Amino acid sequence: MRRNDFVRLCAFIKPGGSYASAWRLPDVPADAGVSLDAVARVARTAERGRFDALFFPDTLAMPWTDQEVAHRHGLISDVVDPIVLVAALAPLTKNIGLMVTASTTYNEPYHLARYFASLDHLSGGRAGWNLVTSLTDPEAWNFGRDTHLDHAERLARAEEFYDVVCGLWDSFTDDAFVYDKESGRVFHPEGVFAPRHRGEHFEVDGPLTVSRPPQGRPVIAQAGASPAGRKLAARVADLVFAIEANREAAARQAAELRDAAAAMGREGGPLFLPALTVVPGRTRTEAEDAMARLEATADPTVMLANLSFYLGCDASQFPLDEPLPPLPPTNASISSRDRLVAEATAEGLTVRELALRQDRADTLVGSAEDVADHIQEWFESGAADGFTVIPPYLPGALDDFVDLVVPELDRRGLLRPVRDGETLRERLSLRRPAHRVPARTAAEDD
Amino acid sequence: MRAGVPTMSLGCFLQAGGQHVSAWRLPDAHARASLDFPFLAEMAGLCEQAYMDAMFLPDSLAAWVGDLDVMSRTTRGEHFEPTTMLGALSAVTEHIGLVATATSTYNHPYHVARKFASLDHLSKGRAGWNLVTSLVPAESRSFGTAPFPSRGERYDRAEEFLEVVRKLWDSYSDEAMLRNRETGRYYDPAELHLAEHHGERFRVRGPLNISRPPQGHPVIFQAGNSPRGRDFASRNGEVLFTAQSALDEAQEYYRDIKSRAAAAGRDPDDVIIWRGFAPLVAPTQEEADRLESQINELLHEDVIWDLVQGPLPNVDFSGCTLDDPLPALAESADGRQDLLHGMAGLDRLSIREIALMAAGGGVVAGSPTRIADELQEWFESDGADGFLLAFPYYPTSLRLFVDHVVPELQRRGLYRTGYPGKTLRENLGLPRPQEVWR
Repeated sequence: MRRNDFVRLCAFIKPGGSYASAWRLPDVPADAGVSLDAVARVARTAERGRFDALFFPDTLAMPWTDQEVAHRHGLISDVVDPIVLVAALAPLTKNIGLMVTASTTYNEPYHLARYFASLDHLSGGRAGWNLVTSLTDPEAWNFGRDTHLDHAERLARAEEFYDVVCGLWDSFTDDAFVYDKESGRVFHPEGVFAPRHRGEHFEVDGPLTVSRPPQGRPVIAQAGASPAGRKLAARVADLVFAIEANREAAARQAAELRDAAAAMGREGGPLFLPALTVVPGRTRTEAEDAMARLEATADPTVMLANLSFYLGCDASQFPLDEPLPPLPPTNASISSRDRLVAEATAEGLTVRELALRQDRADTLVGSAEDVADHIQEWFESGAADGFTVIPPYLPGALDDFVDLVVPELDRRGLLRPVRDGETLRERLSLRRPAHRVPARTAAEDD
Repeated sequence: MRAGVPTMSLGCFLQAGGQHVSAWRLPDAHARASLDFPFLAEMAGLCEQAYMDAMFLPDSLAAWVGDLDVMSRTTRGEHFEPTTMLGALSAVTEHIGLVATATSTYNHPYHVARKFASLDHLSKGRAGWNLVTSLVPAESRSFGTAPFPSRGERYDRAEEFLEVVRKLWDSYSDEAMLRNRETGRYYDPAELHLAEHHGERFRVRGPLNISRPPQGHPVIFQAGNSPRGRDFASRNGEVLFTAQSALDEAQEYYRDIKSRAAAAGRDPDDVIIWRGFAPLVAPTQEEADRLESQINELLHEDVIWDLVQGPLPNVDFSGCTLDDPLPALAESADGRQDLLHGMAGLDRLSIREIALMAAGGGVVAGSPTRIADELQEWFESDGADGFLLAFPYYPTSLRLFVDHVVPELQRRGLYRTGYPGKTLRENLGLPRPQEVWR
């Protein structure tokens, strides 16, 4: 069943592109992680291509610790903080949404509430927060911990974190600030509702130091895949980002999400935007050629490190151009291992071929029509409200998407007309949350 | 005066609602400046036309004024978060430095190191960090219910915090990034240095996930006035600013800081001292004085009382009228009291006069010549190396300063006629720091 009139598009911007070695291509700026010019060019392309939002991932550490692998892993060791980056993009763009990843595990609610409120004001209501709980131990090591918080604890903290942030965003009513020169009032004192939060993880008093965000609440994105993560998404998310192997699985996931949201009394529920890693071309051959050029950049050390991860054993010494050797036994339950071994055996793949295939994963390589067909089929069958488009290399793969696929989607009437001056919520037809008076305020307690 | 630096440096202290608490009510003030980014970008453009070194954003992590009714009569109730605001400004300016305030008391070093390294990269070497230890006790309640730490504790934390931040900035050496497409080597692992910090307050492994900032380290701004604050600032600060309004006190501060810096093994010329200065410029002295009275008349009586009572919570004002002198001052750990102490001759003034001084944040009303005279006197007599200009209101105070005072200073040979360098460090004439592990 089709739920919305238009396909929603987010552009997932990892500097240089999602493919680890993409920076080795001549057209990818090798310093894309720290260059505003490089990112601004990508942002303008996405805006021209009527993407609803840019979506920036983040981690609070260099995730690879083995220096042999890490130093060949490219841009991931050299990226600016996406909150500051998106702030810089705000004046350089005019209607595209600016979604940023930020962790509830290694931040304080007062800081994030302020960053996102500030971004929302700076961008005229185009800010969004991709709420994550962080994934890796190296992040823990940068914040005084030996290991990452366990999953349940992270989610419990995230639930409370979100509520504290929402309370802070509601520190002032929408019409509190009047700046009335005549009476000398900047804001109405009765428009202030300083929350006083006392919870298991946080104790925070408001008010925030900034008026209510233009969108009331910046758009919230979530990508929880565990049951607890999905519960959080069903409760708080406006957008859900997911990696789905096929249309049927995506449709099931989308329906479950809608049901879970409905069970919590949410009308509509989150927009479901599965990942679409895509290399489009004028023809299939052109797209395959581009993919081949990209795969030629893959670094053997990094390839084998990735393969080790998915096989659950040390593959670093495997000869690249020979068949996959017999693997040592393992106790670990690694579902990817069986699949990879089966594929390698059935098709007689070399180690290199297998590694490239794993890194290529579900990348859609095809003509503009192929890509538009995929998007339309998933969209019209209820498997997606839109897509998180992941360009493996930048700016090229996004340029091609915008120049080739977007006109095709437009011909099919799938894209919404863009209006300058809209907030991201308006653009996505998301309700603007009304101001809520906090359960407990500082004023009542005093 | 710094050796070989015959001209003063200038920065703009961007309290968007205006330095004077009631000036936003003037007809030509832009009352809603606090969250009007296009307007603030235009102000930054004016500062750039005047070759100023930096836009400086103050900050607090809680409402500055305690009393809600008083706060509602000032523009201090809302402001942009500084690193995001300056991130945006980095995209629409070319030369001017971007200095954000961030506290070491209610932050984590990894985040601060990363935000400022990012700002330095995005702006191509124009970032500065105003390191504060928090001034407003209410900030503690934004981050839990533990009491506001003492000054000593805050400075102890700041010492370790800054040590960690510097280690993180130096995670990679200047030469580390190879970005060699041929070999596939992005960086040279031999040039990577983990922070591996195991201190009393922080444990941080590193590396920071970003290459070394273009300036090596963003420029460190600091304003410490207590003995502990001066000690910290003279060892770590590169641009120090001070609120002294009397020249002799400022000269004492100047001499003290420079000699402390020398004692710490630094070249005293690598420490720049800026006086906070709030110029209210008008074509003639009479017009400037009239304008100042006009602004003062816009002050609400509740605000006047709060301006004096707020920083002096332990002083009993009961039975006082605004025209009485100040009751005896009590000792307080609250840093805001220092701001009042920085004012000269408190004992000779009435409560109202003190409040008016506080309201204006030290406004000096004058003709372009008179303002230039004062800047010249302070600059030439070692009261300051430059000035942090807190304009009473926007856009008029800034525009008049840029149009009339700057050319006057240039005519006198006291001010530059172009940007000498590309980065904030180069423009300030500050050396580029070596990696801490060298």
